[in-house]
Amino acid sequence: MSVIAPKFKFSEFVKSILDNLFWFLLIFALIGVPLVQIILFYVEMPVINGELLTPFLALTWLADPSRTLPILKAFMTTDLFRIAAFPGFGFAALLAAGTIFVERKMLAKLQLRVGPFYCGKIEGILQLMGDGLKLLSKEIIIPAKADKPIFWAAPVIFVGAAAAFVALIPVAPGWVVADVDVGLLAVFAVIGFFPIITILSAWSANSKFPFIGGIRALHQMVSFEIPLILSLLGVVILTGTLNLSEIAASQSAFPWIVFLPVGAIVFFITILAELERIPFDLPEAESEIVAGWLTEFSGMMYGLVQLGTYLKLYAFAALFVVLFLGGWNGPMIWPPFPEEIITKGIEAGPITVQIPGLPLFSQETLNGIVWFVIKTVGVIFFILLPRGVFPRIRIDMLLSLGWYKLIGMAFINIFIALGLLYAGVLGPGGML
Amino acid sequence: MADAVFLALSVITIGSAIAALELRSLIYGSIALMGTLGGIAGFFLLLDSPFVAMFQIAVYVGSIAVLILFTVMLVKRELIFKKIEDKRRKFAGIGLMLVLMVGLGSVILDSGIKSITTDEPAVDFRDIGADFLTYYWPALILMALILAGSVTGALVLARREDVGNEQRAN
Repeated sequence: MSVIAPKFKFSEFVKSILDNLFWFLLIFALIGVPLVQIILFYVEMPVINGELLTPFLALTWLADPSRTLPILKAFMTTDLFRIAAFPGFGFAALLAAGTIFVERKMLAKLQLRVGPFYCGKIEGILQLMGDGLKLLSKEIIIPAKADKPIFWAAPVIFVGAAAAFVALIPVAPGWVVADVDVGLLAVFAVIGFFPIITILSAWSANSKFPFIGGIRALHQMVSFEIPLILSLLGVVILTGTLNLSEIAASQSAFPWIVFLPVGAIVFFITILAELERIPFDLPEAESEIVAGWLTEFSGMMYGLVQLGTYLKLYAFAALFVVLFLGGWNGPMIWPPFPEEIITKGIEAGPITVQIPGLPLFSQETLNGIVWFVIKTVGVIFFILLPRGVFPRIRIDMLLSLGWYKLIGMAFINIFIALGLLYAGVLGPGGML
Repeated sequence: MADAVFLALSVITIGSAIAALELRSLIYGSIALMGTLGGIAGFFLLLDSPFVAMFQIAVYVGSIAVLILFTVMLVKRELIFKKIEDKRRKFAGIGLMLVLMVGLGSVILDSGIKSITTDEPAVDFRDIGADFLTYYWPALILMALILAGSVTGALVLARREDVGNEQRAN
């Protein structure tokens, strides 16, 4: 007999599942299928195997494996796939979810704790899913005298700004949501939104702790934006472009961190400050001001802010990889796609299955993704590590670090870049 | 398509500009101001100059608006929602605006803007940089000196001699 649910009966459980299945099928047949057909009539359909995919055929073809892959491949070229799934939101959210779990587990190990342990049997692997369900089902409490429109909008806009940041990151050759000619400037423009959102949400909560946290966040973000922008100018000087894809492609021989280590260090420290991570977590200092500017958020609003924070973390780490560590460049480690599957098909005993449309990604793309993910995960690891090691620093030390040391070092980095450029070592028409 | 976007941007820009003037709450007013500045950035995007648009967003929405918000939040709470009503000033302002708009509009329409062809490719931002380094170099040097002077001045003014960097008090 279970302790959690003493009146549990297995037959009732099966019956409820069957009931739900019946209603789901009924509603899907009566509403879902006609709705899908209506929507499909307005969507521009791809040409597959020399034949236009019509809505009448679409559902039939989904069941045919030799035609499913071309449909999938056609879908992968659409903007929707790029925004929602691969180089955009889905990919970033997946890495962000992995980051949250690794952070909790790794910090626990560093501090000789156990960390998430019970959820999902194996080392608490389902903890994140449990937390997500908890946040979804919790009540959203709005403070009585809060400024409601801004308070509601702030988490959504925060996630939106983080997703816009993610959209600018090139993951593999040609795989970027928004390939802007002035990509790095767009990054600066998007980063500029975060202090506004933070201070507005902090003000709208109408509570002391969020407001103090918001003011601290504003100070910190605005003063660290200057060394952030200055530290990246060295790379721009040497590559002569602001397009992030071109900057990543320019590092096929060597990454820029070899020549601009000072800029990379400055940029890394400003990343820590912009992400409000320890040792710069003054806006969220939990031992002083509860949770800083997040104090009044509850339920899924808090979840959205956390999602945005970790999307931002991924985007900053990816930006570091693109600018200093060579992006997707790396030696070829991905095995080539076996030719006989394309020419002969898969032989399984007496049956041979022909699968047209393979491979979905080219070998170069997969190799690029692997290298990009390896480097990004490494940078995220180094962003997480200080949390287990350092204490929080005072705000005057933070500001003096940002204004005196980092800006000075960023200028030194610019002079190094200019020296390399004018000496004819690097840059357009240089020796290397 | 471009016409629809232009109309939408115009509505956003002008509407939020009016809202920035007329809203009772200073916070909402400054948010509306951000809408205006963002709308202007949208106009720059429509004009094929993303470089200027991105700087518009980064500088005006990202910095100036933050400055305004910060100042507003330091104002006393009662003052945020208070507004001095003055009908005569309002009408004088509207009249002045109309006079300015008619004057500027006639000047712009007279300047031969109608005969400009729009098929030319967009100006690359590298050309702007090359121009700054060759023909307009005195302006660049002047700007650099002013900026360096202001940054140094800010650092000197913000410096405090009485605070040490030690975490531990003796």
